[in-house]
Amino acid sequence: MGMAFFGPALILLTLFLFLPMILTLIFSFTDFLALNPGLTHFVGLDNYFQILKDDDFRQAFGNTLKFVIIIVPLQSIGALVLALLINKVAYCKTYFKVAFFIPVVMSLAVVSTLWVQIYSPEGILNSILAHVGIHAQPFINSASQALPSIAIMSAWQGMGYQMLIFLGGLQQINPALYEAAEMDHASNWQKFKDITLPELKPLCIFVFITVTIGAFRMLVQPMVMTGGGPSHSTYTMVYDIYETGTVNWEIGLASTMAIVFAFFVMVLTVIQTIVTKDKEGTKHVNKKAKAF
Amino acid sequence: MKKRIIAALMAGVLMISLTGCQKSTPKPGSIAGYDKGEQYLSIWVHSIEDTDEGRCYREAVNAFNKAYDGKYFADIEFIPRNDSGGGYSDKINASVMSGDLPDVLTVDGPNIAAYAENGIIQPLAKMTEKEKSVYLKSIIEQGTYNNKLYALGAMESSVGLYYNKEILDEAGIQVPDADHPWTQSQFLEVLKKLKPIMDKKNGYALDMTFPVGEATIYYYAPFFWSNGGDLTDKTGLTVDGIFNSKQNIKTVSYFKTLLKQKYMSKVPIDSLFESGRAAFKIDGAWEVNTLYTSYPDVSFGVAPYVVGDEWNGEQYAPTGSWAFAASSKTKHIKGATELVKWMSGVESGKRLWEKSKSFPSTYEAYESIDVFKKDKNYKELYYQLSKYGHPRPKTPAYPQVSTSFQQVLENSVLSGYDAKEQLDKSVERIDAKLKRYKTK
Repeated sequence: MGMAFFGPALILLTLFLFLPMILTLIFSFTDFLALNPGLTHFVGLDNYFQILKDDDFRQAFGNTLKFVIIIVPLQSIGALVLALLINKVAYCKTYFKVAFFIPVVMSLAVVSTLWVQIYSPEGILNSILAHVGIHAQPFINSASQALPSIAIMSAWQGMGYQMLIFLGGLQQINPALYEAAEMDHASNWQKFKDITLPELKPLCIFVFITVTIGAFRMLVQPMVMTGGGPSHSTYTMVYDIYETGTVNWEIGLASTMAIVFAFFVMVLTVIQTIVTKDKEGTKHVNKKAKAF
Repeated sequence: MKKRIIAALMAGVLMISLTGCQKSTPKPGSIAGYDKGEQYLSIWVHSIEDTDEGRCYREAVNAFNKAYDGKYFADIEFIPRNDSGGGYSDKINASVMSGDLPDVLTVDGPNIAAYAENGIIQPLAKMTEKEKSVYLKSIIEQGTYNNKLYALGAMESSVGLYYNKEILDEAGIQVPDADHPWTQSQFLEVLKKLKPIMDKKNGYALDMTFPVGEATIYYYAPFFWSNGGDLTDKTGLTVDGIFNSKQNIKTVSYFKTLLKQKYMSKVPIDSLFESGRAAFKIDGAWEVNTLYTSYPDVSFGVAPYVVGDEWNGEQYAPTGSWAFAASSKTKHIKGATELVKWMSGVESGKRLWEKSKSFPSTYEAYESIDVFKKDKNYKELYYQLSKYGHPRPKTPAYPQVSTSFQQVLENSVLSGYDAKEQLDKSVERIDAKLKRYKTK
């Protein structure tokens, strides 16, 4: 009987997940062109060598890494700070929670369109900067500022979700720990460092990994805001896969890129899990808190 | 028990996948208007039905079915697309694989070569010279690949060099007539004169950018063509020595000069021209309608597109739009050709102009629409299009040519990289995509 429940899911998963995955792997060894599937040949590892030599792919790879390096700390720490602040506020808690969460609910395409206006040469942000006496900045129109500008926007957009996770974690912490610390005249910083952070550690790891994987998949923002420019500075790996597969019709090459991309993200996730794992596999125990 | 359930489920999935993918030709009577003895023709268009353009296609098909009652029946399907053509082209690609192409489909002008080269579309049935002469020269050129006519457009398009009359009067600049455009050097002189005036207005002499997407090659390739350069050779299979030719390096440097002299803004500024802060703007023909309806206060004109210094009356102006073609899967090429002719014909063009202000593709349509005789701006654009229209490069690697072109301008003009190095790099990229066509 178990099969009756599991069966439909298995069939759908096979059709829409496993089969495409296997096909992608097979296509990655061919010169499959969408316009002419009849002329497909096996080309062995040619595609893999080709993308290694491909400047665009290498740049896209670098850009994606850069984006991840900027956004992961920004979004994780930002979310934590917001959660701590909201936890402290006595009034209008729900208001703040909703206010910070609204961008998450909005579609990324809509948010990107809005921020194009905010970042525009004569837009709101430059008007504000002018009042403070700072020259107009090109933001998304300059090769050096475009990626950080998009990262800041993306962090702002996604932060609310991780904030809620942290907030849940904060409310789980036993208040007795803080009371004990106060009796010992611990400073606020000490309380944060020795109680809050260790208690939130499992959540931190979860947030860290999900934000990283999300950042690797970045595509909508450059597509809407910059088209990958200026000078390919916001061209990401997923964007390159999309362009190669749908605009240039080269499904074979795009499949190779997708395989390399998936492999890389997998390796990175494994490394992250190993690095952030509790040492010696002990259960999560806050030793310092215990000492109080 | 278990096995039977699984077997039943598998059979169900198989049924769904079979009926879902294989679209059989409908039988007479199953669709309203499709009668016995009529030849069924399916047609796909790249538009949503509930738009001005979509309604035009629907009306055109209805009129076709009426005119050919008892002979043909056309069944139209609307497939939405996004700005870059995605969605529609995905559907075409998927259908190429599953073998479900319709009898007639629409193709964007620059993609005709790739579709023809890969056997997605087939040459139209033979047309007499008289039948062909109905269409603008640029439409026939766009639809021809390897000396065979593959596609006919229902609409044409062009790009105008718009000028602000008040600003040019203030500077005392005379606009030349359509057969004697400003050369690139003369245009620099004009811009030089305008610079102090525009500085006072906190603006720029030229409102132009190099946007990502099709617009850049569409707007600026004429600067290369009229300057003695080209993007590919005649076969569309060779770019080395052409895309990166000396002339093209010169043309890229020309754009560099425009930026260096601060005649144009490095970053795109919204509605610079529309708010009277730019003397010139380069934009599609649709801009005329936008200016008339949304900025009635701006007094503007259309100047002939700028040409190279050595220009000698060759064709160079931007053209091209979506066209109708017969798919390679159709067994009724005669009927399909009739449908293509009908959809791109005079009445269809007039209807598209009325509803969506797209330029028609036939001489007769222009003759019958008053605006093209009376309105000076539309008249200029029509003249430029009919006399100097030049199709975009006809090469199966067109998407790569278009992207590379935009990157060259963006990288060398805006980001300051070396022009030759950028052009050489592009040649390498395009060549990699052309390889599969050369070995054939």
